[in-house]
Amino acid sequence: MTAALYVLGGPLAAFAAIALLPPLRRAGRPAGLLTVAGSVVSLAAALVLLLPFLRGGASPSEASTLWAPLGAAGALRFGLLVDGLSASMAALVALVALLVQVYSLAYMAEEKRPALGRYFAYHALFAFAMQGLVLAHNLLQTYFFWELVGLGSYLLIGFYWEKPEAGRAALKAFWTTRIGDVGFALGLLSIWTAAGTFTFSELFAGTAAGTVALAPLALGLAGVYLGAMGKSAQFPLHVWLPDAMEGPTPVSALIHAATMVAAGVYLMVRVSPLLVHAPALSAAILAIGVLTALVAGSLALVESDLKRVLAYSTVSQLGMMMAAVGAGAPEAAYFHLLTHAFFKALLFLAAGSILHAIHTGDLFSMGRLARKMPWTAACFAVGALALAGMPPLSGFFSKDEILAAVLAGGHPLAFALLLLNAGLTAFYIGRAFFLAMGGRRDAAGAPHESPPLMTVPMIALAVGAVAGGVLAGTVPRLFLASIAPPAAEGAHPPWAVALAGTLVALLGLTLAWMGYQRRSFDPGRIRAAAGPLVTVLERRYFLDDLFVFAYRRIYLGVSAVVGWVDRYVLDGAVNALAWATWQGAGRLRALQSGRAQDALYALVAGVILLAWLALSR
Amino acid sequence: MSLHAVLYVALAMFAIGLYGVLARRHVVAVLLSIELMFNAGNLAVLALAWSRGLLSGVILVLFAIAITVAEVAVGLSLVLLAARRSRTAVLDDLSELKG
Amino acid sequence: MRDAAFFLLAVVMLSGAAVVVTARSLVRAAFGLAAALVATAGMYLLLTAPLLAAVQILLYTGGVLTLVVFAIVVVGGEVVGPATRKPWAAVVASIATFAVLARGVSRIDFGPPVGGLDAGAELGVSLFVRDYMVPFELLSVLLLAAVVGALVLARKDPSA
Repeated sequence: MTAALYVLGGPLAAFAAIALLPPLRRAGRPAGLLTVAGSVVSLAAALVLLLPFLRGGASPSEASTLWAPLGAAGALRFGLLVDGLSASMAALVALVALLVQVYSLAYMAEEKRPALGRYFAYHALFAFAMQGLVLAHNLLQTYFFWELVGLGSYLLIGFYWEKPEAGRAALKAFWTTRIGDVGFALGLLSIWTAAGTFTFSELFAGTAAGTVALAPLALGLAGVYLGAMGKSAQFPLHVWLPDAMEGPTPVSALIHAATMVAAGVYLMVRVSPLLVHAPALSAAILAIGVLTALVAGSLALVESDLKRVLAYSTVSQLGMMMAAVGAGAPEAAYFHLLTHAFFKALLFLAAGSILHAIHTGDLFSMGRLARKMPWTAACFAVGALALAGMPPLSGFFSKDEILAAVLAGGHPLAFALLLLNAGLTAFYIGRAFFLAMGGRRDAAGAPHESPPLMTVPMIALAVGAVAGGVLAGTVPRLFLASIAPPAAEGAHPPWAVALAGTLVALLGLTLAWMGYQRRSFDPGRIRAAAGPLVTVLERRYFLDDLFVFAYRRIYLGVSAVVGWVDRYVLDGAVNALAWATWQGAGRLRALQSGRAQDALYALVAGVILLAWLALSR
Repeated sequence: MSLHAVLYVALAMFAIGLYGVLARRHVVAVLLSIELMFNAGNLAVLALAWSRGLLSGVILVLFAIAITVAEVAVGLSLVLLAARRSRTAVLDDLSELKG
Repeated sequence: MRDAAFFLLAVVMLSGAAVVVTARSLVRAAFGLAAALVATAGMYLLLTAPLLAAVQILLYTGGVLTLVVFAIVVVGGEVVGPATRKPWAAVVASIATFAVLARGVSRIDFGPPVGGLDAGAELGVSLFVRDYMVPFELLSVLLLAAVVGALVLARKDPSA
């Protein structure tokens, strides 16, 4: 358990040091080295936590301390939960964070030194927040760190704050996830009503024993899912992710591939034992997940910016993970989360390498980069194959499990759609690869291979992307201790599903190769021919316009009305009262005119009154 | 000539004097009206004393007249002072205690 | 006979009062007051109090009025603008006062008047010797204070 404290403490210490010591921050590179050191500590501690679970037979442990006693209603606690799920996620987060930070030392080397210090401070803060979320022992604590992660994301996306688009993107991310967070908070209230506790272990025990009210529990889970929708970019709250590409590319690798967006999936996996009591919610999660996957997959087809393609790809894969959760197969979802972290982060780092070399991310300005940047090209290829789901890479195994689980859960339509999405995925990533690495024309600028500080992390991730298939046997074991044994678990998914998945991926890659490498057909003509369809895609299904409309017309409209009421009705009432007081005072003041005769009138009136009263007896 | 008659006459003079006190603008005119009211009062007291045969009523009126004389003297010198300071004898304008 | 005198005196008194409150010229008002005061003195005579009648004429008409005339000369008896202010309110006030007090007067029932207020010797003894000696002395102190006060108030400013 003390190791868990080190997992949190490493990044926190780095952040505190950089934040509290301005000279350190202003120095730039030393701040980066400190952050990396913190990440090393964090990773080492996480591995210490993980090892017992890998060997098997370890049991989860938790430790908590009293935070806020609530009298008869119980208490709020603050604590750490270490089980297979949290230990593995902590190790993943620490590893990816470390690799990205090392990569950043080279990628961001040209930044001004104080900005660099700020960058690494944000990284440390984010790492701390993410680990806190992962190791949280109750829902309230999760929410607390959830918000902190959101803050870290805002800071990192908006790092280039001189660019107005970056600021807008950061704000958009914050606002959109905020909508989800409101749902999360309301869900927390409902869960407290249902169970009287936020602690995971108590929730599981309570539902098993039947002491938890099921209706508010389902409502609470729906609220929690709303939060996950925001963070994990489910439709329609996915609109922030493509715009978040305004941030530095290593940030995208960390946050938008492996960690923050995975937090939503992680949370749903964590509460998955409770989902059996909310079948309607599970169905909704599945449906939304499939929809998200397809929408994002289709949008990736028309993007010309490499990072945007990867962003939509992330949304699409997240949709697949959530679909797995909805289909009642959290292990498949978590497996895919792990493999996706490796190959997506790899792809982003490769994109960063390209960006660093030729200073543009436009796919149509690239070409034949494979010659000048062999390591990058190789890593890109590995990542692309893993994303497409080609055996024997890790992506094949995890995607396969999801497809099998969805089919086995009795959702044939969802299965078909996800299979279609797999084909789309292969196609668009193939397109990106061939446009960048292959083709006939040379790329603009002076492409060169990136320094080792950048290529080594990429290679490390590539190894993970390849070898992740090995985990296929381990993942169920990671879960055994923390979550009730899965309902039906065959040793391997049926061969038919594996075959179908592979064929579809092969088809997609081949089409991409034919269209963009061999030029057997002209994709440009197809695009022009499909005019209106392409427009819909290019306008992102008009979702952004919808949000802007809702904000400008509805929200601001209501605000204007409220503002009018406040200014003219409420303030008006207060002002009227003041005016009346002034008027009254003015009138009353006339009584004190200072003229003796006016006072005498009052006197005489009084005398007459008294005389009359006296004489009435 | 009955008590009532005298009293009514005194009341009438009192009322007329009251009108003058309330309505006249010149300070001295107001003082004159106050004299009217005083006299009306004296007349009423004496009439009642005459009706009951009380000598103390006569003495009361005597004292009252003496005091009134003192009051007029002091009042007139106040008027002189005010008129000298504010250069006006119109009551409307002697209103520094206003507000 | 007495009634006729009373009636005449009443007319003079009230006319004089009317002049006081309505005359624009202050001198005219002062003389109106003189008429009213003299008529009052006459009333005192009818009410069997000759001493008071004499005092009235001596002090009021002779003293006070002279003072007033001198004051008018010094201060100036002309008023710029109307002579009265809010006359209708004043009329209402005086009529109301008259009405209320008259109602009280109408309730008085003392029987036939006794009179006999001209007992001079008795008056003198009561005033100077027996009953009112101390107040009488105090009154002279009051008069002294009034004289001094009037002088102080009206003198010219020494620093001017």
